[in-house]
Amino acid sequence: MPRKLTTTRDDHLIAWLTALAVTIHIAESALPSPLPGIKPGLANVVTIAVLIRYGWRMAAWVTLLRVLVSSLLLGSFLSPTFVLSLSGALCSALVLALTYIVAQRLPGAGLSALGYSVLAALAHMAGQFAVAYALFIPHPALLHLLPVLMSAAVIFGAVSGIIAQAMLTKAGA
Amino acid sequence: MKFSATRADAVVLVAALALLAFLYIKFWGDATRGEQARILVGGKEFSVISLHQDQHLNIPGALGVSVLEIHAGRIRFADSPCHGKQCVHTGWITLGGEVAACLPNRISVQVIGREPRFDAINF
Repeated sequence: MPRKLTTTRDDHLIAWLTALAVTIHIAESALPSPLPGIKPGLANVVTIAVLIRYGWRMAAWVTLLRVLVSSLLLGSFLSPTFVLSLSGALCSALVLALTYIVAQRLPGAGLSALGYSVLAALAHMAGQFAVAYALFIPHPALLHLLPVLMSAAVIFGAVSGIIAQAMLTKAGA
Repeated sequence: MKFSATRADAVVLVAALALLAFLYIKFWGDATRGEQARILVGGKEFSVISLHQDQHLNIPGALGVSVLEIHAGRIRFADSPCHGKQCVHTGWITLGGEVAACLPNRISVQVIGREPRFDAINF
């Protein structure tokens, strides 16, 4: 006797928002990159908007599902690219969840889309870099790339944050 | 569009910029420091050695044995059988492109870095 799978409104929301993030992620993967590891990360816009509107649990779901689904569609599932992408996503979801929870407890520690986005981008890059260094290329020369990669993270993080803010303002959040 | 950045946002941005400054200083600050030194005897390459391992080297030259000392990423002539001891007085060299030489003993040392600090050196 087959059991009926019940889905909640949140499940549907997560699916829709993940689909949106996956679309952005895949469109972006077609762009050429000057350095491996540097890309705008515009799918982050969706994560941040979800975080601010629906909380950290939804944001974490959307981020992790986006990485999984995109890798399946791009054919990079379980490849080094996927491992790097996943470690970055895990790290940024963790940082977002922590800051979100702290911001809820402490009045005055509230971040807007800009702050969350910059934090997420930095965490993503740091996590990804740490795994790349530990697993793939444990060479000191790789460390010389770190300042450039982190600068790119701050810049793209701020841009995504501004876009997310504009989106939320339009959506009336 | 009304832009509502909070005080916490400002803290995050300032911290991010401080982090970047720290990273640039930490990983790019000593870009001119050399990693290795090339030792020439009589105009021919004698050896290339790392500056990361502290040691004393005895190099046979035209007059006798010169002693090179490597310590903490730097190298110098500790002793040389020459007359003027110009080479010893050059002191420690550490930046890419820097040279110490004992002309009478026909021995010279040049630090090899990622970015040479000098194109040429004239004495």
